[in-house]
Amino acid sequence: MKKVAIVMRKAPYGSVYSAEGYRSIMGLGVFEMDVAVAFVDDGVYVLLKGQNPAKLDMKPLGDGFPMLSDFDVKQFYVHAESLAERGLTADDLVMGVEVLDSAGISAALAGCDVVLPF
Amino acid sequence: MLFMINKTPTQYGNLASALRIAAKGQPILLYEDGVYAAMSGAQSEALLQAALADHPVYALEADLEARGLTRLVPGVQVIGYDGFVELVEQHNVAPWI
Repeated sequence: MKKVAIVMRKAPYGSVYSAEGYRSIMGLGVFEMDVAVAFVDDGVYVLLKGQNPAKLDMKPLGDGFPMLSDFDVKQFYVHAESLAERGLTADDLVMGVEVLDSAGISAALAGCDVVLPF
Repeated sequence: MLFMINKTPTQYGNLASALRIAAKGQPILLYEDGVYAAMSGAQSEALLQAALADHPVYALEADLEARGLTRLVPGVQVIGYDGFVELVEQHNVAPWI
């Protein structure tokens, strides 16, 4: 079976990309596919703690990611430089993730057959 | 003229572009993904400091809350939808999307 990488590069709420990415990850997990998720550029904002979009009449997106381990999705990689550029550290995120430098992200993607961008 | 910014400063050039065009004193409103520019400690803080030197800068509270943004650059004025409406009533609008 092919190994799939989901690359999240957009901030949440401002577009449907992050929410659709989440749905795709869950779908791949349900079908027991091997999936890795990489958060790069504005995608790191998806995992920021304390999101509350009630006033936008939307559901909090970040809170859903820790639950993906129930679907056996457990490979989460966050790009270190993207975090640092935004004044963030791993402590600002909703879950424990593997923080990788650019070469690490590159290697993680190289291990996948397909890259789906969100 | 009210310049309205709804994209992140890290991946899009909307705020930088608006700051080139906006005259001194004209207000800047950060909304939707534009509110990420109000975060302190980010590389984009220099851009926001430049904005604050010449313009009143507002950020929409609902969009800050949605995204979990609490560490804001001092000087940014957080407003609700009522404040948003007031700004739009007081100024012509330049949506810099």
